[in-house]
Amino acid sequence: MYAIEAENLSKVYRTRTKEEGLGASFRALIKPVYKEVNAVHDIGFTVKQGEIMAFIGPNGAGKSTTIKMLTGILHPTGGRIRVLGLDPVSDRQKLSYRIGTVFGQKSQLWFHLPPTDSFALLGAIYDIDRAALKKRTQELTDLFGLGDLLNVPVRKLSLGQRIRCEVAASLLHAPDILFLDEPTIGLDVVVKQGIRELIMRMNREQGTTIFLTSHDTGDVEQVCRRAMVIDKGHIILDQSVKKLKYDYLNRKIIAVRFDTPPHLKAPVGITLEKLGKTAARLSVDTRICPIDEAMRWLIGQGGVADITVEDPPMEEIITAIFNTAGGEAS
Amino acid sequence: MRHLRKYFTVFRISLENAFTYRSNLIGGLLFYSLFIFVFFNLWRAIYQGGRVAGYSLVQMVWYLCMTELMVFGCRSSIFGQMNEDVKSGSIAYQLNRPYQYVAYQFFNALGGVAFNFLIYGTLAIILGLVMVGPIPGFNFAVLPLALISVILGAVINFFLMMALGLTAFRLEENTAFYLIYQKLVFMLGMFIPLELLPVWLQNIAKWLPFPYVAWAPARLIVAFDFGLFWEVIPMQLIWAVLAIILSMTVYSYGIRGIHAHGG
Repeated sequence: MYAIEAENLSKVYRTRTKEEGLGASFRALIKPVYKEVNAVHDIGFTVKQGEIMAFIGPNGAGKSTTIKMLTGILHPTGGRIRVLGLDPVSDRQKLSYRIGTVFGQKSQLWFHLPPTDSFALLGAIYDIDRAALKKRTQELTDLFGLGDLLNVPVRKLSLGQRIRCEVAASLLHAPDILFLDEPTIGLDVVVKQGIRELIMRMNREQGTTIFLTSHDTGDVEQVCRRAMVIDKGHIILDQSVKKLKYDYLNRKIIAVRFDTPPHLKAPVGITLEKLGKTAARLSVDTRICPIDEAMRWLIGQGGVADITVEDPPMEEIITAIFNTAGGEAS
Repeated sequence: MRHLRKYFTVFRISLENAFTYRSNLIGGLLFYSLFIFVFFNLWRAIYQGGRVAGYSLVQMVWYLCMTELMVFGCRSSIFGQMNEDVKSGSIAYQLNRPYQYVAYQFFNALGGVAFNFLIYGTLAIILGLVMVGPIPGFNFAVLPLALISVILGAVINFFLMMALGLTAFRLEENTAFYLIYQKLVFMLGMFIPLELLPVWLQNIAKWLPFPYVAWAPARLIVAFDFGLFWEVIPMQLIWAVLAIILSMTVYSYGIRGIHAHGG
């Protein structure tokens, strides 16, 4: 059985446009001009129960719009959606008992009150009786390592602590599907990793279906088994993360600074993208040259003063996908 | 009954939350006192003995204390919050929950409103007593009846504000609506009793919802009479029901085409 089914799903926004200048402002006041934006254009996909699905794409690609349609917040302009067999628009309330959402940049906790108050409220909203709520809160406290955080006013929590509480709050009613919209945005590496592990554990231990959007390649690589790539409202790729990793997530960018000008002769699999007097930018093809090998070679050059390793930005990966796979998928 | 727990809980939590805004409260209390004091002096200058539009000076000062209590008491942060939530996209968290959104927001506001009425009500009574002493001929037996009018006034105000606030789902900017609405409540019975307006304007105003927010309850508290009570309460009931229907309608229209921003 499918947890999520979408067919020919579309969303068109109508936004008001205005040319520059005072005259145009006047005209727009009397006769507004509208522009139609195809945020999501005729997409279709299915997600199996218990699957971890990544939905990736650059900003403005239609990721959030899709999540908001799947959770019944936005009404689609066209197409058909079934989430757990329900129509998110007409069965919004019924469905809301069975799904959970986390919006990374937004908060559902009361800012001035400790999370335990927000938990009590959410428990009431989802009709969880007090004993069950207490048990569930304890379970999530242990799982998420929340400890005393639940009794500290939210405004005094760090971003990482707060996000952990946010995710826990979304899981109080034990949803069958958890939708996460950019859950790790703005978090440091350690906290990010913690959140990723939690998501994987939820999936493993409770069988929760995960639908995650992100533009962090790390989220996708480490958490998800399948990925869909969306760009400008179209799905341009839908395949296993394993294959995606091999085909597209196969590069690391190393920026390095030396004490003295080096004499670099890059081995196979490493491309010298930029070379300054004492600094260099390298691109490593990890299929040919694993990252630890690349690092060892670099350290072997001697006199490394500073080094950073990064994933190439999502935008670059999308462009690469679009250039190679763009035609076949759409 | 089990399904009502969510609404009670949000009331309790929002009441708790109201206690955390201390500086806001102190500012409000000072502002309220200053306001009453200025008008007290103005009215004292105007009254050189006798009555104005049937109100004695003592009644007029208490009238002002009560209309201001309606305004300060009904103040709620949820409307500004709703606007912000739509703009920031946080509204997404509020819309996919198993509750009736408008009812939920009513109880959400109620916590703060109950808190305000308690605090400003105490201040109003103290200020009134200090400045002019008790209301002559005040009858505690009819106070519960006047309080019905107070509650209906607050309900009308909440759902009209809600209907205006919900336009944020569709419009980019709706703060002008609040301003216009508040000015109408101010003009039609808050600063000065309705009886001071020209008769033709009074006649129009009595068909509009605005005087029933502040004028009606304040008038019933300072000079209760049954004739007025039976005239005012049905109008308040009608407007309360219309305001509720209006806000539900705006909600169901808004939700179909909401612009959820962010991402």
